[in-house]
Amino acid sequence: MKSRQWLAVVPAAGALAVGVAACGGSGSASTASADPGSSASGTVNGAGSTFAAPIYQQWGSDLKKQGITVNYQPVGSGAGVAALANKTADFAGSDPALTSDDKSSIKTPVVQIPMAFGAITVSYNVSGLQKGLKLDGPTIADIFLGKVKKWNDPEIAKQNPGVTLPSSNITVVHRSDESGTTKGFTTFLSDYRAQWKSQIGADKTVKWPTGTGAKGNDGVAAAVKQTSGAVGYVEQAFALQNNFNYADVKNKSGKYIAPTLQTTSAAGDELSIPADLGISSINSQNPAAYPIVSQTFIDVHQDVCTSGMSAGNAKALKAFLNYGLTQGQDVAKQLFYAPLPSPLLSKSKAQIDKIRCNGSAIR
Amino acid sequence: MAASAAAISQSGSLRGSPLSRLPDRALRIVLTALAVAILTLIAFFFIRLYVEARPAFARFGVFGFTFNNDWDVSRNVFGALPLVVGTLITAAVALIIGVPVAIAAALFVTELCPRRARGPLTIMLDLLAAVPSVVYGLWGVFVLIPKLKPAEQWVTDKLHFIPFIGGASVAGPNYFIGGLILAIMILPIVSAITREVMATVPADHKEAALALGATRWEMIRTAILPYSRAGITGAAMLGLGRAIGETIAVTLVIGNAPRIGSHLFDQGYTLAAVIANEFGEAANNPIHRAALIAAGLVLFVLTLLVNAAARVFINRRTALA
Amino acid sequence: MNAVLRPVSKARKRRDLAMRASLGLATALALVPLVLVLGYVAKRGLGAWSWHFFSTDPTGSFLGDPGGIKSAILGTILMVALATAISVPVGVGVALYLTEYGKNSWFAKAVRYFVDVMTGVPSIVFGLFVFIVLILSGGVGGYAGWKGSVALSLLMLPVVTRSAEVVLLLVPHTLRESALALGSPRWRMIAKVVLPTALPGLVTGSLLAVARAAGETAPLLFTAAIVNGTSLNLGQRMNSLPVQIFTDVGQAQDRLVARAWGAALTLVVLVLLLTLVARYMSRRSRLT
Repeated sequence: MKSRQWLAVVPAAGALAVGVAACGGSGSASTASADPGSSASGTVNGAGSTFAAPIYQQWGSDLKKQGITVNYQPVGSGAGVAALANKTADFAGSDPALTSDDKSSIKTPVVQIPMAFGAITVSYNVSGLQKGLKLDGPTIADIFLGKVKKWNDPEIAKQNPGVTLPSSNITVVHRSDESGTTKGFTTFLSDYRAQWKSQIGADKTVKWPTGTGAKGNDGVAAAVKQTSGAVGYVEQAFALQNNFNYADVKNKSGKYIAPTLQTTSAAGDELSIPADLGISSINSQNPAAYPIVSQTFIDVHQDVCTSGMSAGNAKALKAFLNYGLTQGQDVAKQLFYAPLPSPLLSKSKAQIDKIRCNGSAIR
Repeated sequence: MAASAAAISQSGSLRGSPLSRLPDRALRIVLTALAVAILTLIAFFFIRLYVEARPAFARFGVFGFTFNNDWDVSRNVFGALPLVVGTLITAAVALIIGVPVAIAAALFVTELCPRRARGPLTIMLDLLAAVPSVVYGLWGVFVLIPKLKPAEQWVTDKLHFIPFIGGASVAGPNYFIGGLILAIMILPIVSAITREVMATVPADHKEAALALGATRWEMIRTAILPYSRAGITGAAMLGLGRAIGETIAVTLVIGNAPRIGSHLFDQGYTLAAVIANEFGEAANNPIHRAALIAAGLVLFVLTLLVNAAARVFINRRTALA
Repeated sequence: MNAVLRPVSKARKRRDLAMRASLGLATALALVPLVLVLGYVAKRGLGAWSWHFFSTDPTGSFLGDPGGIKSAILGTILMVALATAISVPVGVGVALYLTEYGKNSWFAKAVRYFVDVMTGVPSIVFGLFVFIVLILSGGVGGYAGWKGSVALSLLMLPVVTRSAEVVLLLVPHTLRESALALGSPRWRMIAKVVLPTALPGLVTGSLLAVARAAGETAPLLFTAAIVNGTSLNLGQRMNSLPVQIFTDVGQAQDRLVARAWGAALTLVVLVLLLTLVARYMSRRSRLT
């Protein structure tokens, strides 16, 4: 185990490490300046989405200098919403918009704030297989249904002429927790494979017909990294961090698109925005967009103080959200998440002003 | 003697005045209250768990919940059979691997090894129990799973004619790895109790066998093993109880797939692992929460039955001794 | 037994030798995992150890320095200390009731039986119970260190009680009787004779329970939760070594996995030290 296995799995870790270190440095440098309501200090407890965890944790460590402590528990979107509902968290990170079931389980009114977009990559760990394997929705569905079992299956081969595919077995890795990443991914699959839609469906957790379950985007990344022949779906930051190879995925316009900052941003551009901002950016109509892009939200109680926060901590929460929608957007970009397009950004900012403490505005 | 002591305390100490007996009374009351409190706590514990689990039992039936092969969180359908089966498979693997080794180690330490090596060997065997579960899990994930995968594949290829074991494509985390880690974790307790049971074998039995010209092994076979069979069975059952309830190490290496695996080297799930993984998000979904607490209750009843059986076996032997 | 009476044949000798050898081999086999686990933990763990590792909190930063395990060490110490402060007095108290007052009454038997039952309860179920009673039902806030302690003390209680009872029963009756015969009231007899005599044994039992609790993850998952920062306030959520390891194991990044090994080594050293001290105490005990 000592060195061989690790080396085989992370052939070019160095390159990414350099890139990541560079952007980490600039991230903290750009955030030294304080934010309008900067006198706030306090503790904010958040929980939820692992998809967006890199951003929230980075924002948290940026705000530490201002005396704001952000404890973000990356436990999955499902657990985040549950934690918001039973008030063990002050805010929930959730990738999918709140459903009516979610809202009724939370009982008190909630404010839903879009924060960023991220691409869900189909990452694989197959020796001899480079980045940019071309896959369409039906094929990915068949892999996760357990119907396509080998990497050189004709279904994969016919989309990748000229690529030598190994005959090794495919090991599917999926989430075991209730996850927004899963909801995004299964929504994508349901749109392309009738069998997926009828048999499995799209939800934060589904009954997977095959594969290993792992907790969180990081857990899936870890399992993919440790298993040769594995394929899993993780947010792009996790794929880049671990130097995974990921697939170019065919979008609605029939083009194979690699996930990049541009193709991810493109998915956020032509969205219809409902009144509660409950957007969905999966399978965008934009021909330039990567098809599996998910939005991510922060959900808070409309009156945070009657839900258990002190006035001081409420102020800190507001400062955190403000930071996220101002300088934080650049930080997100450095982590390969797409910032909100400006029409959506101003609507998001307006949501923050709806938050109350014991009925009055927070200032 | 005990009776006379009690008599003295009943009549009060020799110089006793009613006032000096006050602390005595107080102590008695406090200690009794503690004992009552413990019983109350345990009763409350069961009742609360049962009340919380009831919605799941009411919806699916106790039988339906335990034996339906469908654990589907998104449809709110909870049949725990895949978890029960996973728990039983891993526990069985643990017993098959762990118990013979544990008994052999106990025999070696009590009967065969040089007297001077006995102490250190015992301590080392017991230290296996001191390693925390999460550390076994860490080791399992980063050492056992990758190291053993080729060996597992070799075994399943060679034994392709045996159903459930042969002809599989080995998944990284799987039932077998879970069982193997459990085998290591139950080894010290099974071995320790077996040692204790063997220590109760009367020296006359052993000496008689040796005097009749038996070799060491024949003495073990004819004098020790028959005498301590019940106790060893009890020890194995205690190990089984431990294996069923173990959570964290198994959670890390079982593969977290809520379906019945098609072979020994397939991913699965256990009752305890499902609770550890899903409880955080279930807290707010009443039926999911009830189902997980019900899983805890099923787990608890399983361990209770196994432990009760173990106690019967062990007590029967020590009562004879 | 017929075979036994004949002179020892070569075949029997061979068989004896073979069986002895295989028993020895099996014992060696049993020790292989111990050597491997400790070896790996020591090797990988030492690589992660540094002053920085022990003096900083986990940062949770996705890109930069992941930080160390200070909050996890302090959290474990504080929560286990509180759990000990709860479970040892209660456990020894119940054991005293059983040996000095209850003896063989039906009530004492019931207590004994149910304490035994508690020993078999999987630790995750204790975590569930505390979550239901102290967090879900509301009233006393969310996750907190003291709730983790309560879950741990439920786990320790039966261990302490049973081991204390065994030790207290070993205190010779003659000692008790002579104290009473000298006119000492029962409480003084317990305080001045029984407890001091049994002390080393009580300490051993308690230390073993502490060692067990320090390594437990499952009861803390839904009670003390996962945080990065150090908190010395048991009313707030707290980090702990096992939970920190559990979270880091599931991470893809090598530096977080390295932290898991480093934390594992710390935990193992802590637990093994406690276990060895406990054994040393039990050797020094005059009772056995």
